[in-house]
Parts: sequence; structure tokens; C-alpha cells
Amino acid sequence: MGAFLQFKSLAKNYGRVVALRGVDLSVERGQVLALLGPNGAGKSTLFGCLLGLLRQGRGEILLDGSCIADSHRLHFGYLPERIALYPQRSVWENGLFFARLKNCAPTELERQLKRVGLYAVADRPVRQLSKGMLQRLGLAISLCGEPELLVLDEPFNGLDPALLDGLQQILRDESERGATLLVSTHTISAIEPLATHVAILLEGELVESGALDQLRAAHKNTSLEAIYHCVAREKSAAAKEQVFA
Amino acid sequence: MRQVLVIVGKEFGDRLRSGWVIACALVWLGAIALTSLFGLVQIGRIGIQGYDRTVASLLNLVQYLVPLLALLLGHDLLVSEREERTLALIIAGGVTRARALLGKFLGGCLALAFPLVLGLLIAGTIIGLSAKDKAVGPFLTMAFSGLGLGLIFVGVGSLLSVFCRTRVQALVCALLAWCIVVFAFDLIAMGTVVIVDSTRAAREIEAATDATHVTSIAETHNAFEGADDSAARIVAERSRRVAAWLAINPVDLFRAVNLPKSTNVAVPPWLLVSSVVLWLGGPLGMAVWKFRRTDL
Repeated sequence: MGAFLQFKSLAKNYGRVVALRGVDLSVERGQVLALLGPNGAGKSTLFGCLLGLLRQGRGEILLDGSCIADSHRLHFGYLPERIALYPQRSVWENGLFFARLKNCAPTELERQLKRVGLYAVADRPVRQLSKGMLQRLGLAISLCGEPELLVLDEPFNGLDPALLDGLQQILRDESERGATLLVSTHTISAIEPLATHVAILLEGELVESGALDQLRAAHKNTSLEAIYHCVAREKSAAAKEQVFA
Repeated sequence: MRQVLVIVGKEFGDRLRSGWVIACALVWLGAIALTSLFGLVQIGRIGIQGYDRTVASLLNLVQYLVPLLALLLGHDLLVSEREERTLALIIAGGVTRARALLGKFLGGCLALAFPLVLGLLIAGTIIGLSAKDKAVGPFLTMAFSGLGLGLIFVGVGSLLSVFCRTRVQALVCALLAWCIVVFAFDLIAMGTVVIVDSTRAAREIEAATDATHVTSIAETHNAFEGADDSAARIVAERSRRVAAWLAINPVDLFRAVNLPKSTNVAVPPWLLVSSVVLWLGGPLGMAVWKFRRTDL
């Protein structure tokens, strides 16, 4: 049986700028994949192609062996890097709109709002929410309907330690439920306790991927952050050598 | 279909909440009341008139205002959500782009149709009771064709909304489109006639001008009076000749459909239907095509 999610030679250009250079990546069901890379590495572009926000260039994305379609995305949850909702509408109204699009009952939204601790402020207009609250509302929306794939773009940005702990616990629970998680982040220490697999993108190229345990063994490093910096340095040195050669 | 209905409901709810729907209904009520009372000032009459006279007086107002309101509504449908980045969340949630666009378009149509129908319904009832006029046919024709005109321009607005990258760009394009269909089209048509067929240019220019120009309203009222049968015959003859021109521009088509029967203006049904279908389907089809190829 093939992988749950497969990116096959995925390429994407923005005009002359190459964002993804033939990315090949497989994700098994139930994995927590930490997608790492500097700004502009192509992490959000990869997510954009997966979620149908961007037209992919070459390559394909397969879900359970077949080309990904809009109907598959009903079972996805997505938390963008900068969550944008309808500011005049309340927490409940925003949540209900997106929940209904996914065919979720209001009781499911209520459950998720309670889970992220926002049910008490469900009547409050979104424009009055703090950044952390907005992030939690986005998370509640993405969790509606128990998605089989959660795509989280920089979910740890701007969270205080308490909120960070809460988010980590929710992601742990989702993983235990059997959901597959794709998490792009710069906050490597926050994803390390959760990640089972790691993929590192540099300048649109997948330079490293595999199980976290195997990567640790291969790089003789104990921390994910050290592995990431080591891979980035090696890639940078190799690029310099190519230039001088 | 459920997703489309959810988006329609949200779009209409937003317009209702923002006051757009109420404001539009009030504008229509006021406009219809004023034109019914003062529409015949040009021929020296003041007071609530019957349906046919009210329709003749309302033609100019509807042909200017409905496309403008529809374009103002339509230009904003998608570009604002794209700028605010909420559209990405909708599409990422498994809504196809065609459904998202259809939902936004239908929501926009509802937001335009609701106040328009409400205004026409109330005003129509008042006119019927006050003027004791039972010949509601011309008024209904104007209501339906005005509604159709509005829906066409919501579609055109949606197309602009898909093609433009910012709200300001879309607004400028919408206003330009309005100026073209309401004002510039006649000039362009006449210019084309002059260039293509100069020997018949004078006759065609005269015909096109009379069928679409604002000042022809007095002539239309004169045709009602029956005092000048030749005026009615002239309008009819000219309108037949420019039928092909009218079909290119939905605003002129709307006007031709609503000219009183006494003027014998006849737009062939096939021309009317095919023009409406093309004007509704064309922009929406292009919008879907472009939207599917747009990165969010």
C-alpha cells in the first residue's frame, strides 16, 4: 500500500522565481511531519499547492494513491500563518460559517471552541480578539470535523508559553486520534516533542527528510535544531563549492 | 450545493448587516415615487401617473442606476476576500473555486434583487391604488428586465473582481465599465458606423441616437398622447433599424424592451434571449476560467 500523501516531483514557479524544485516527499498516515526551512524556502508554497490555493507547475500530489481533488480537502484542517477572518462577525459566526462549509454541526464547533478555551467569548466580535485568541479560533476552525490531515503553517508564532503548551497538547491529542499533521515552523523547539518525521526545505529543494529518530542517529545530534543547522550548513557549503568549481 | 447556499447566505447577511440592502430599498422607493410624481414635468404634468407613464419616466433612472449599483456590488465580491485572505480559508476547506464564485455571485444577486423587488413592489402597489391603474404589464416588464439588467452587471462586476488584484483597481474598472455601457457605447457605435459604412452613416447615427439618448423620453411621452402619430412611427422605424446595435449593449436592450407598445419598438425574441444568455453566461464563464487559474 502506498503512502497516505505523496508529493511527486512537485515544482512551482512565481514568474522567474523558482519556489519549489521537484519536491519528492511521502507522508504516512498518523505521522507528525515537521517541515523546516528558512523564510522563502518554499514551505508555504508546498502547503498552498496541497490545499489548492496555488497552481502547481510540474509534478503531482497524491492522496491515498489518487490525484488530490477539492473533495479530499473537506477532510483537511488548515491553520494559515496569518489567520484572516471576518472582523465584524463574532467568534461563533465566523466558526459557524467555516464549519458549515465543511458540513459540520454547530455542536462540533461548540466542542472545538471549548477545547481551545474560546467558548466563553463566542459572542465577541473577532476584531476585539487578541492575536493569541485569533490563533486559537483559527485552530478551532481547522479542527472542526476531526480532519484526517491537519496543515499548520507557523502555528507557534506569537504564542505565550501557556498558549504554546495548550497548542502542543491539542496537537498531541490530534496525533493520538490518528490525524496526520504537517507543521511548518521556525520554532523548532516547540515541534520537537511532537514530530515523528522531519523534512527540510532549502531554496525550494528538499534537502533532508525522514524519521526524526533516524535523522538523530545519522547526524549524531540530539536536538532537532542542531540537525537543522547542520543540514543547512552542509547545503550552503556544497552550494559554494559548486560555484567555485 | 450546500456550500454554495452557505456562501450565498453569508454574502447576503453581510450586505444586510452593512445597511446596503435597506439603503438600496429606500433609494428605489424614493426614486420611483419622485419619478411617478414628477416624471411628466417635461410635458407639463405633475402627480402620480399610471404604470405605463411611470415606466416611461423611470427608464433613464433604471438604466443608469441599476448597472451602477450592480457593478458597485459585483466588483467587490471576490477581490475583497482575496485581499483580506479569507478566500484562502474557504478554498482550503474543500470548496471548489466554481462553487465559491457561484455562491458569491448569487449572494450579490440576492443583495441587489431584494431591495429592487421590494422597492418596485411597494411603489407598484401605491401607484396602482393611487392612479387606479390595473394595466400593470409595462411595470412588471420593467421590473423583470431591470432585475435582469442588474444580474447581468453583477456578473460583469464579478468578472472584474476576479481579474483585478486590488479593490481600488476593481472599483476603477467597474466605474469605467459603467461609463462605457451607459455613455460611451452610443458614441463608439456611431463612430463604427461612420468608419465602416459612411454612405448610410447619417441615417444610422440618427437612429442609434434616438433609440438610446436621454432626450428621447419626451418623444416617448408624446407618442402616448397620440397627438403626434408620426413621432411614434419615426421611433418605431428607427428602433427596428438599430435592433442589432441594441443587442450588443444590455442597457440599450433594456430600454428597447421597455419602450411603450404605441411606439412599435420590436426587439426580436431570439435576439433578446441570446443577448441575455451571452451577457450572463459570458462574464461568469470567463470569471470561472480565470479564477481557476489564479493563485491565492
